[in-house]
Amino acid sequence: MERHHNSVTVQRRSKTKSYRLSYRSGIGAASRLGFTPGLTARRLNTSRKAPKSNNITEKVTKEQLALLVKTEWKLSYVTPLYQFRHTQLKSYSRQLSAFIAAEKQQGLAVDVEGTQNRFRASFSLVQEMTESVDDAVTVLIQIHSKPLIARQDEPRRPVWSGWLTCINGNLEYLRSLPKDFICLPLFCSSEAGGLTSLVKSWFQQSFDCCFGPLEISHTSLQWLMALWTNCQPESSIRQLKMIWTLPVEPQLQVTYTVDAEDAWQLWSSVRKENTAGAGEENSIDIEEVMSFMQGLKGHFFRHFRLDLSAGRLNEVSTALGSAKHSGRIKFSNSKYMITTLMLLTECALLKMPI
Amino acid sequence: MAAQLNLSGPPDSGLSSLTDQSMSSRTSNRSLRVAEKERRKNEAEDPSVLALQYFYNVEAGTPVNGNDEVERNLVLVEQVAYRNGLSPEAISIMLEFAMSLRMGHSLCPRVLKCLIPVTVVPQEAVVRGVSWLGVGKIPVSTQVLFIKWVLTVFDMIDAKDQLRAIYGFIFSFVSEENLCPFICHLLYLLTSKQIVRVFRVRKLLELQSKLGRQPFLLNLLSLYKVFCPELVTLSIPSRSKSVFKNHNMPWKSALFAVQKRNGSQVASSISLASASKDGTNRRKRKHHHLEIPVLSAVVNKQPQTETSRRLVPLVQIQSVAELLENMDHIELPAQMGSLLGSSLALQYLDCVQDESALLRLNFWIGYALHEELLFCGDGASQNSEESLQFLNKLLSTQHFLQEGFSSSDAFLYKFLNVWDGSLLRPQILGLLSNIPVIPSSQIGRLLFEPLMQLFFTSSVFFKCGLIECLSNMLLKWLIWHSVYALEDDLDISLNSHTSINMTLSGFKDSVMGLVDFVGRLASIGLQLEGCHSLLLSFILDFYTMVCDTFLKYGLPLVVMPPPGVFYPALFATDPVSVDRLAFIMYRYKVNLTSAKSQEKLTEQAFHISRQTFREFNNYTVYMVNCLWNSKMFQPGMGVQLREELLLKSNVPQYWTSFDLVHHPAFMSYAIDFHQKCWPGKKDIDLDSIKHSKPWSWYLEYLFSQGYDGLALFVQSNIRAGQGNGQQGDSLST
Repeated sequence: MERHHNSVTVQRRSKTKSYRLSYRSGIGAASRLGFTPGLTARRLNTSRKAPKSNNITEKVTKEQLALLVKTEWKLSYVTPLYQFRHTQLKSYSRQLSAFIAAEKQQGLAVDVEGTQNRFRASFSLVQEMTESVDDAVTVLIQIHSKPLIARQDEPRRPVWSGWLTCINGNLEYLRSLPKDFICLPLFCSSEAGGLTSLVKSWFQQSFDCCFGPLEISHTSLQWLMALWTNCQPESSIRQLKMIWTLPVEPQLQVTYTVDAEDAWQLWSSVRKENTAGAGEENSIDIEEVMSFMQGLKGHFFRHFRLDLSAGRLNEVSTALGSAKHSGRIKFSNSKYMITTLMLLTECALLKMPI
Repeated sequence: MAAQLNLSGPPDSGLSSLTDQSMSSRTSNRSLRVAEKERRKNEAEDPSVLALQYFYNVEAGTPVNGNDEVERNLVLVEQVAYRNGLSPEAISIMLEFAMSLRMGHSLCPRVLKCLIPVTVVPQEAVVRGVSWLGVGKIPVSTQVLFIKWVLTVFDMIDAKDQLRAIYGFIFSFVSEENLCPFICHLLYLLTSKQIVRVFRVRKLLELQSKLGRQPFLLNLLSLYKVFCPELVTLSIPSRSKSVFKNHNMPWKSALFAVQKRNGSQVASSISLASASKDGTNRRKRKHHHLEIPVLSAVVNKQPQTETSRRLVPLVQIQSVAELLENMDHIELPAQMGSLLGSSLALQYLDCVQDESALLRLNFWIGYALHEELLFCGDGASQNSEESLQFLNKLLSTQHFLQEGFSSSDAFLYKFLNVWDGSLLRPQILGLLSNIPVIPSSQIGRLLFEPLMQLFFTSSVFFKCGLIECLSNMLLKWLIWHSVYALEDDLDISLNSHTSINMTLSGFKDSVMGLVDFVGRLASIGLQLEGCHSLLLSFILDFYTMVCDTFLKYGLPLVVMPPPGVFYPALFATDPVSVDRLAFIMYRYKVNLTSAKSQEKLTEQAFHISRQTFREFNNYTVYMVNCLWNSKMFQPGMGVQLREELLLKSNVPQYWTSFDLVHHPAFMSYAIDFHQKCWPGKKDIDLDSIKHSKPWSWYLEYLFSQGYDGLALFVQSNIRAGQGNGQQGDSLST
């Protein structure tokens, strides 16, 4: 078109472009984004690598690691951040501090450059906690505060922390995003007062992103059970604990605890011969997870005449960590954190609107 | 500055030229008679010119008390001011007189109060007035009065550049406690991006800590935040009013009266309110995802360069004129979702071709839709009032932009699978009709499968709604095509700029898929609903568009309706449906004939399959036989029944049952006609209409009832001749 009509008026050109956009917005944008939004339905992977002990202790600083492991995190998904720069963390710290101060004292302007704020936010990078080169570096946010009545020299205490991460995000998706978007789809926050929502709204206003709650689905919880059980020989899971709710009146809650060794035996019995072999990358299939679950449910049925298939798995926990359907997770052992985060990143990416 | 202000020539000439000017401006639109009267009146006013001269020349230190001359002259000026307003020069003179305190400060307020401008206020006069503030002899109340006056006439000041140049000087008065509220307002009106600096922010923050939460400080600071969010931040409680108080009461009514008398436009809004908030939308919400973000400026700017200094935040743009003026250096808002709330911003979005911006908007829209309608779990319909408003807003935005958003399309593809067909039906169908062309390989899975299920399990009203929605969808596709085809020389695919490889034939496949799909829905829908006439009407709407795809939209494609649509329409009991079918068949004929003649002329014209011609001919012949020739059941026709069966039905002369006389849709007309034609006859013999004379009268009578489709069909398909027994005219393949 440029070639043929160089002299077309601006107006006409812009209209044409707008129609072009219409065409593109349907199919073109989709193909450009790699994922065709509705055209190909994204699903959770049906096969994943078995967790291997990952010594992130050597890479991540002790303080950061202690923080990540100690807390139970509330999960959210975040749409890609527009014009987020890992090099601007200092300035973000200042802005977030000022923002919190302004929100806490409605109707009072706050000097962004000032240092007198009661709340001090600090951004830092969790280097090396990545799985692929396309993963954006994890960002840790901590907020320290002084009590309202405090001595001059009293140090600020940490009151809130949260982090944005992307571990082994889907390459096709990450690469389809334009350069000025940074994808850190998983947001973990410690619950403390209204600070979570303040941090979220600051991110929304600064990087034009959206936060939504991320639940851990039934399937993901089963995945976690299998992945954790698989670690038993290297690092004891002590016990495998599940909490189920059954749809009866009144609602019945079942806590089902399996001894670590028993769980491991059941797990090894359902592992397929060919995949369990050495040499190739050790991978786990969804069928194996399902048979594992089937075995556990069957066992329960034999004893209590209750079929757990009718119920909903609400919570699983082992010595390596715990996860709740409502979207709460705790990592108790840093060694296997990466595997769990890979699964959660996948869940978060599944929630992306485009 | 003083030199500039001094009138160049002798004062008299300057003043008289001025009165002329003001006079001419006042009389421009009036009749000559009135103008003449005005002029005479102006001559009578002459003393006021002398009065101005007096104030221009009066020596400093002239006493006021007992000075009758001042009193007389001032009364004269006041009379002019309150009646007609003061000319720009008069304002300069009087303002200078008052602010210079040449005769002390007692007259000051009185003079200021009568400064009612007739046209504009010279900027120089205001600047000079401000400069007198610095001298420091003027009482505070008079200073306040002066600033209030500036605020009142702000929109009438002829230029603002010099005022902006002395921003720093004006700023220095914020420390004066009494002046501060008014100075803040004035600064608010003058602030531009370049002016916002750290030291000013600090000064205001310092004042804030001294004075507390003052709305005027807050307003100015919030404007600073718009320009430089990296320096200052604040959040304004939703309940507080963020508008400057109306300071202009002393002048407002006088100004209004003068302007009204002069027939000029009343200054629209004298005080500039900062973003007014929508009261209804502010109520407390459980979920925030549907809340449209507030239009605000970006915080994390690129390192400040010359170009970024010039960028104007979209939130600052108030009118289309300003938008056009700043078109090439507008800064997009921090949250693209905020565009949805402002038509001005949408106007800009329509022009800007920023891919990231569009993607940001799509992320937000998609997020809101997903959270509200897909991820919501149990509480789906709990806040349906908000969903309704949101979807309506989205729809009106799409309507405004004349295109959909890819995120809402992606959402719909998922949502259709879980939709019950009743939740927010008009809105969902509205969004659905905006879906752009889908490749024919995907269209079945994405659209047809879920829609088919919904269609067959829902009420007749849903069926009508869906057919209408699909009609609108097709219409949009066809319009896109016609625009595209025209601009890209009949080929959509050849263009190197499009990232989509949709060829003309691909597009045709999609359209064909959609038309076929609607045909299937329509056939079965009519059966299920017993040929519901409302449903039939929507279906005929659809085919009224389909029959014209070639001539009206330039798409080389002709698709005939399926028998399941054709026959129910032909045998419908209401004449309107039959008439519309006749019109549709007529348009098919025109389209096919035109396509055929083009095929002969140019080689590149498209080829219509024999099958299409055959279908068309069959329909036409059947229609003519049925309506005109009273031969309903001919061998080889679409509707065939065994002879014995027909005899068994005991219908006399069954072959005439659907001719134009006996057709249930037209029978009442036939009877009416019969009565009019043979008023004496007691028993009605409809067959008598079929004789050649009454037949042509009957046709004329029918056509005069508004059945234009029928008329066109008959004209184009029945060869000129007379009476009964004509043959259908068929197109050769």
